[in-house]
Amino acid sequence: MATVEVRDLRKRYQDFLALDGVSLRAESGQLVTLLGPSGCGKSTTLRCLAGFLEANGGEITVDGESILGVPANRRGFGVVFQNYALFPHMTVAENIGYGLKIQKLPKAEIDTRVHDAMKLVRLDGLATRLPREISGGQQQRVALARALVLKPKLLLDEPLANLDARLRDEVRWLIRDLQQQSGITAFYVTHDQSEAMAMSNMVAVMKAGRVAQFATPREIYQKPTERYVADFTGEANFITCSSVTPLAEGRYAITAAGATLELNGVPGITGPAELLLRPEALALTTPEAGTFQGTVSKSAFLGAALRFEITLADGSVLKLTPEPNHPVEAGQKVGIAIDQSHAWLMPEVAP
Amino acid sequence: MMRNPKLLLAIPAIALIFVFMILPITNIFEMSFRTPGQSEPFGDDYTMMHYDRILGDAYYWGVLGRSLLTAGVVTLLCLIVSYPIAWHMSKAKGLKAVFLYACIASPLMTGVLVRNFGWMIAAALNGPLNETLMALGLIERPLRMLFTQGLVILALVHVFVPFMVLPINNALRNISPTLIEAASSMGATRREVFRDIILPLSFPGIYPGMILVYVLAVAAYVTPALLGGQMVSYMPTLIIGELTGTFQWPFGSALAIVLSLSTILVVGVFTALTARLMEWSKA
Ligand SMILES: Nc1ncnc2c1ncn2[C@@H]1O[C@H](COP(=O)(O)OP(=O)(O)O)[C@@H](O)[C@H]1O
Ligand SMILES: [Mg+2]
Repeated sequence: MATVEVRDLRKRYQDFLALDGVSLRAESGQLVTLLGPSGCGKSTTLRCLAGFLEANGGEITVDGESILGVPANRRGFGVVFQNYALFPHMTVAENIGYGLKIQKLPKAEIDTRVHDAMKLVRLDGLATRLPREISGGQQQRVALARALVLKPKLLLDEPLANLDARLRDEVRWLIRDLQQQSGITAFYVTHDQSEAMAMSNMVAVMKAGRVAQFATPREIYQKPTERYVADFTGEANFITCSSVTPLAEGRYAITAAGATLELNGVPGITGPAELLLRPEALALTTPEAGTFQGTVSKSAFLGAALRFEITLADGSVLKLTPEPNHPVEAGQKVGIAIDQSHAWLMPEVAP
Repeated sequence: MMRNPKLLLAIPAIALIFVFMILPITNIFEMSFRTPGQSEPFGDDYTMMHYDRILGDAYYWGVLGRSLLTAGVVTLLCLIVSYPIAWHMSKAKGLKAVFLYACIASPLMTGVLVRNFGWMIAAALNGPLNETLMALGLIERPLRMLFTQGLVILALVHVFVPFMVLPINNALRNISPTLIEAASSMGATRREVFRDIILPLSFPGIYPGMILVYVLAVAAYVTPALLGGQMVSYMPTLIIGELTGTFQWPFGSALAIVLSLSTILVVGVFTALTARLMEWSKA
């Protein structure tokens, strides 16, 4: 299979710098997700990988060899586009078999491989339909089969964006299963953090043409290097620390909102710092037992859980989602217990 | 009728078509069965003699064949010339696109007589075309171009190019660039992308372009009359000759009906042959 590496990639559109030094690495068989808001350069990165765009700087290697000089049709990246890009004048089977036909394989082999691919993505019986005669979810699976049948490296640009929620979930797992079964190296673009978390070996959180953090989903979520990453990967509470004392590499003693804690954090913090508390690291308790004390300022019933906002003494607001039958009302004084292993210290500005 | 406001809106168009198309065509059709008149353009009785005369005479078959074939050649040449132009146009944006549209439309901005007299001057024995060719050393003696079928074809291609370029340009613009990227990511070379994706998907532009140019070329009168000379006849020149020269309205009408039906037949066969392509390539 293939290890794909992107180093310091730069891409400029006229006078707009869309990629400003993007570095990524997908080990053989890994699925790497590019996560970030619209316009941060995810598609541009993918299109540079595919060879549709020429980079203005940096390097892309496959198994250590540069592919910058290789045209798109010889790079061996199967691409799944957000709008599927199925050939409207070819049947489902012809779409899937097109790459094999280009390779001039014998017709019998093409037929077998197309048949197998269609079975894999559960499209049996649709071989002779045209793309406009099948549903959006089926079109999506044709696009997937078409990219997979060549057993190349995969690039997927928001492949689920045009599907409804139920289908999205189904196709998401299908993609993950197929990618793992065949050990294909894949880059996956999304702006949906839950998708990124669920599917990836590695996540690159992108911010305005740069990679803010490149790490495993767990690290991205639990140990973000900056507030931007923490915000983008899920619900997060931030409390500004009034003092920070380094204890060891990545270990600090802090005071925040009147409480003193010892916790892990981004190594090498020198300036002002913020405490990151995910809602699930927080539990309600009596005011005396809590690490923090505060007043319930909002409460809402969400069905599976409650949702509270609690204002602390220093004015910071914590959001948390306790189980639904907790007898607490707005205006009440409460204590908040924290799971210290899930608290995380970050510099206020990225290092 | 009042219940359907859309129909109400269509009334002016229907009236226009009725007065300027249905009525005249019905009239010509009826005229083609009239007996020849003595001191007037047509007689009082009805007859099949004009059709018998046309279909029984190899001369008319020959002229009809030449008209249909010449129009076919003009259409194919137009397609070959227009496709690359349409391709460039479909890539152009902004001012460049406006400039190209103006260039493409330019043959239509001159009147048909002026344009053809222009060709007569350009193609004359001592005209600029011959002089240029001789200066380039391509020919030794001036070529006789005026009053040849070749010049008629050249002039028709020139003026009909816009009718081919515009619909093809439109079809090419409608091809999503991601389709081309998808094909090349699957290993297709530029040639294969063109053959398998671009060409079939531009057919919705090629088809109307070819039909338009063919129909216009079959019916062209001024260009063949001025540039074709007396030696080669085309159906429109014959028809006009009968109608305004010898005043044989019934016979001229029969010729016109034969030409129309033949054109419809050619267009129909072409449409039938390409129906599958058309059906598949509409996105
Ligand atoms: N062809 C282009 N010309 C000019 N700017 C572009 C072009 N394509 C993308 N951009 C800009 O580059 C930035 C990154 O785009 P893109 O990679 O598509 O973002 P994403 O996929 O993350 O939403 C955006 O600000 C976008 O406006
Ligand atoms: Mg994008």
